Amino acid sequence: MLTYLARTILKMLVTFFVIVTLVFFATRLSGSPIDFVIGEGITQEDRALLTSYYGLDQSTWVQYRAFLASFADGQFGLSFVERRPVAEIVGERIWPSLQLLLSSVVLTLALSLPLGILGAVYRKSWIGSAVMVIAFVGYAVPNFVLATLMILIFSYWLNWLPVVGNGTPWHFIMPTITMSGILIAGLTRFTRNAMLDVLGQDYMRTARAKGLSEQTVIFKHGLRNASITILSVIGLQIAGLAAAGSVVVEAIFAWPGIGDLLVRSAIVRDYPVLQFGVIAVSVAVLFINAAVDIAYAYADPRIRLGRA
Amino acid sequence: MKRLLATTAIATLFAMPALAVEITVGASNIAPYLDPGRDHSNVGSQFYYNSFDTLIAKNLDSDKTEWLPGLAVSWELVEPTVMELKLREGVKFHNGEDLTADDVVFSLNRMYQATFPPYQVRARDRLENFAKAEKIDDHTVRIHAKREEPLWETLLNLQQVMIIPEEYTKALAGDPKVAEDDDYEAFSLKPVGTGPYKIATFSPGEQVVYERFDDFWGDKAPLDRVTVKRMPETASRITALKTGEADIITNVAPDQLSLIDGDANLKTVGAATALFHVMIMNVNHPKLKDPRIRQAMSLAIDRDTLNEALWLGKAIVPASHTMQEFGELHMPELTTFEYNPERAKELLKEAGYDGFEITFDTDAVYYTNGLLAAQAIMEMWAEVGIKGKVQVGEKWTGNSPELMARNWSNPMYFADPFGSFGVMWAPNGPSESEGRFNTDEAYAKAWERFRFSKDVAERRAAYGELMERIQADPPVLPLYRPFESWAMRKDINWAPKPGNIPYVLDFRAGSISFASN
Amino acid sequence: MADTAFTPSIAANSRLKGASAIWRDADPIQRAAMVLAVILISAAILAPFIAPFGPEQQSLIARLRPPIGFERYKDGYLLGTDELGRDVLSRTLYGLRLTLTLALLGASIGLVVGGLLGILAGLIGGVFEDMVMGAVDTQIAIPFTLIALLLLAIFGSSIEVMVLVLGVYGWEQSARIVRGEVRRLAQMPFIEAARSAGASGPRIAFKHILPNVISPLVVQFTLSLSNIVLLESTLSFLGLGVQPPTATLGAMVGIGRDYMPTAPWIVVAPALMILLITFAVQILGDWLRDRTDVRLRAR
Repeated sequence: MLTYLARTILKMLVTFFVIVTLVFFATRLSGSPIDFVIGEGITQEDRALLTSYYGLDQSTWVQYRAFLASFADGQFGLSFVERRPVAEIVGERIWPSLQLLLSSVVLTLALSLPLGILGAVYRKSWIGSAVMVIAFVGYAVPNFVLATLMILIFSYWLNWLPVVGNGTPWHFIMPTITMSGILIAGLTRFTRNAMLDVLGQDYMRTARAKGLSEQTVIFKHGLRNASITILSVIGLQIAGLAAAGSVVVEAIFAWPGIGDLLVRSAIVRDYPVLQFGVIAVSVAVLFINAAVDIAYAYADPRIRLGRA
Repeated sequence: MKRLLATTAIATLFAMPALAVEITVGASNIAPYLDPGRDHSNVGSQFYYNSFDTLIAKNLDSDKTEWLPGLAVSWELVEPTVMELKLREGVKFHNGEDLTADDVVFSLNRMYQATFPPYQVRARDRLENFAKAEKIDDHTVRIHAKREEPLWETLLNLQQVMIIPEEYTKALAGDPKVAEDDDYEAFSLKPVGTGPYKIATFSPGEQVVYERFDDFWGDKAPLDRVTVKRMPETASRITALKTGEADIITNVAPDQLSLIDGDANLKTVGAATALFHVMIMNVNHPKLKDPRIRQAMSLAIDRDTLNEALWLGKAIVPASHTMQEFGELHMPELTTFEYNPERAKELLKEAGYDGFEITFDTDAVYYTNGLLAAQAIMEMWAEVGIKGKVQVGEKWTGNSPELMARNWSNPMYFADPFGSFGVMWAPNGPSESEGRFNTDEAYAKAWERFRFSKDVAERRAAYGELMERIQADPPVLPLYRPFESWAMRKDINWAPKPGNIPYVLDFRAGSISFASN
Repeated sequence: MADTAFTPSIAANSRLKGASAIWRDADPIQRAAMVLAVILISAAILAPFIAPFGPEQQSLIARLRPPIGFERYKDGYLLGTDELGRDVLSRTLYGLRLTLTLALLGASIGLVVGGLLGILAGLIGGVFEDMVMGAVDTQIAIPFTLIALLLLAIFGSSIEVMVLVLGVYGWEQSARIVRGEVRRLAQMPFIEAARSAGASGPRIAFKHILPNVISPLVVQFTLSLSNIVLLESTLSFLGLGVQPPTATLGAMVGIGRDYMPTAPWIVVAPALMILLITFAVQILGDWLRDRTDVRLRAR
């Protein structure tokens, strides 16, 4: 177990270093970002003055070392635009993103598990077909279309729901639904398939043969066995998908989270923020993956014994 | 909110302590930092006037120039290049400190003798003629110019020379006795001034919260609290106004006006902003060296049609680089720029234009209708035979040798042609320095007379000469003064003031009120 | 958002069956998807012939006109006009064409690059395999939208960059599938036999391994296709994709959303089109997976 843990952590560290280095050099490929930072209409001497003030006149190698060094003081450098520590800028935005993520995961689980089970149990009837159609359509509707439509209907026409920021619980409704849409569609399908697999197993037949009620069979035996597969998928994939979804959702609803920050810094080429944002999100995803890996290994003796 | 306001009106009637009057403004952009000295962006300009004062104030209700006492109660030239100002007594900063001559000298010299690079850059284009400020006594300062200055009041009314506290600023970082770069960086996140609102919360790029400053020296602020919040999406901003999340919103595109005006609870106000959207052309691009080609590019553009189609005819199409606000220097009689497609075709023929592609750069969203105008201009060029292509990108390309044409804006930073045309098109100014505009000795001489002559007629004549030069070898075409609109609840009386620079969200006494119904 | 989640890893144990019985075996939804796919593809190919106007042809006097059947409708503009007086129908058709082209190119690049790297990794092994699989792991770790944001921030937005970005999407899945398959097959007797008979590496790869990985790759291809359509739309919607005036479906929705309250028709047609594409591709992908008996596995 310990060696497995050590290997997982080592692998994570290497991946992390690769990401950090790639991200840094990638952002320097296009040359100096100074033209994005200071913008228009200044003389060449002033441009040179500001270039050196922003530290962008140094060689890429020197900048890279400074970048790595900035990990040490925990500030991760200064934003080109806001001129304050990147850690502070990103830090302010973690909690709003996390709130949105949590509410979306809750909604996703609350809807897709029952739907998936229904879809599997009643796969031959119209209920099962309905579930599948919902899942397919849900997957096909891009989240930005869903968001735009909801804003038009619920805010613009009906004046029911607020559209900007995260001030009140009401503000959570549309962003949460937007973000959950694709998760619900995916997880419903997945749950359905996992349940189908389980329902066909021998022990289910045995359970039925023992005269247990259908409900007991499904929930006690079926769901429990399917849940291992389902949970591993949630852990592994929701993090990545949510990170991606939050970019769109936060941009549309001006939600003060990391996704919104990333899009903005990509547009204005605020590289220190963009770099750190990408790294922070990747690390979070890495962590979740590693945690799931370890939990999985703990549950599965074959892996615990060192055969990854 | 409405109920709240009605109550307030009644409360005031009975001279009872009023309930809090609060409004929320949805703005498409919030500044990433707040320091009036280093900033001259359109985004930043929204915020300073509520919280900062200049030494010399201006009557903003008129577009004629009338100077008023600000933090200085009187001023006079004691020598041809030295102005002495008497400061107002009993002025307090938001942090409780008293305003003294030291603060004024500090604020001015941080610009006049700038060491902090962003200040250096900002001072160079407009404050170059000022040598220093010095303290005479606690409430008297003298300002020394390098040469005789015809625009004293104008240049003491600038956003960039608003007054900030010395001790507070110096103590923000590092040594509390010394002004370091880090002090100024820190100030721009925790700004303090003398205006009627203090900045209670500032989340860079997200929101600015103003609160009434009770120790303000002048008329007290009419609102207790103003929250200006970032609402970047046009549709969201309008929706927020409808749902009541916002009471006022900025930057309403002309296409949306009818929609809001059709709502019984809402209204719009607007004005042609003191700013030109312009097309710039690179005079040094190998293919555009012949001025006739650039003249044709300019003559081919039917700016009135752009105005009708994109601005509902509400923008102002200028005949020259001139504005009403310039007062005595307003020169509407000049015809520097016109629409003449036939002439454009002739010029292209004479110049031997062989159908090469001319690129036009634009940002996708930065200027209202910017992309639409660019695309429409391509069609107009096509009419006279110019093959144009829009290139969309966020990067500023005005300093690239490959630049052919692009859009830009020439704001009026202060009410004088020097504050608009002058900042951008001076000899060795940004345009020339970026390599897309050339000046020669004759231009520089005309510029000198325009900038420093104390005789208005002389300045007008010199400006006319500059415009002739621009016409003969055009680097720029002002397209129009865009019509900028704000939308709000119907019971709010607010409108941009004619004497202000563009985009200012002014909530001082007399600038905003509420209908009593 | 289009990302790798719920994209099942795929194991191959059969081949595509013949095409003759396809229609007969399909259920109504699948048939509808097939018809839809044929219509969409034809519309995309024929766009230059059937579109009534050029995609960038504008008429400033006919801006923001509604579709047929509404007041202020302007003759000839069936689905109305946009903010520059361009024909929404024509732009939607051209947008469909470009979006599909980008998606096909992107998915193909991912497939070819990933497949090749997978084969090489499987055959060569050693450090090379570690490097390829390390890259695969890294890409799986970073949400792809972030990679796309980064690449677009660096290289700017143009059609070429967009193809590159979309090409980077999904290669890691193909690489993983192929390499796993190569490793599995390498232990099979018939490969051993071929090798001892003196067959070269490339020969083994193409003659023996390729046929075995084709069906999982086809399934993978359809999956990434619909994800890439969503990805392209999303990036364009955010203003980071192909830049105006070029019409792509996502960009039309992105720019049109400012006009949502006043002129919803600008958004409706391209949004619907995106939905139809992803819907059809999904159904067909699922159907393909069933037919080829490529099984879903949890991990």
